[in-house]
Amino acid sequence: MLMNMNLQFFSHHKGGGSTANGRDSAGRRLGTKAADGSTVTGGSILYRQRGTHIYPGVNVGRGGDDTLFAKVAGVVKFERLGRDKRQVSVYPVTEEVAK
Amino acid sequence: MIHATFHHGANRIDSFQITGHADSGEYGQDIVCAAVSVLAITTVNSLQRIAKIPVQVDNRDQEGGFLEVHLPPKLEATAELKGQTLLQSFADGLRDVATNYADFVKFAETKD
Repeated sequence: MLMNMNLQFFSHHKGGGSTANGRDSAGRRLGTKAADGSTVTGGSILYRQRGTHIYPGVNVGRGGDDTLFAKVAGVVKFERLGRDKRQVSVYPVTEEVAK
Repeated sequence: MIHATFHHGANRIDSFQITGHADSGEYGQDIVCAAVSVLAITTVNSLQRIAKIPVQVDNRDQEGGFLEVHLPPKLEATAELKGQTLLQSFADGLRDVATNYADFVKFAETKD
């Protein structure tokens, strides 16, 4: 997925104005914790998020803070869900090989 | 503040995550943001166009301020060499930016 060369990608958007800002919390280290195609054990955290940027798929549960985790050991697969959503699933290795 | 974190797997950089906003100037004049943006976006596009690596890219283009890239676990030798060269060059440049603009960029490296 190529990116558009937006030189202000890591800048606050227009209309920020200057006020008494300058404070910032520590980065929450959100995002992917297990890459597509990698093998995970049951209970492993797959994706940290706020809200459902990615939905739970096959053999994947969703925690109270929307964290996605593997219910079984297997291979991680990031998949499309409908037209514009994405989900993450975990397929046990036997099932993976049989497909 | 921009937080840049590079993750090292077995003898390779296998993912990086960049979050936050530089806030070193008004929108359109934020030179630190521009430096980080051009390094990051060039690397993401070069990994795909030059090294031909099907990277997994997770970015919030609308909001900006979040970019995470993962390499596939296994790559063919030439692609791996090109990919690692691009990533190490990116990390090297970003480390220098963070050194000279420490108020706006934090650079970190993690291992398994």
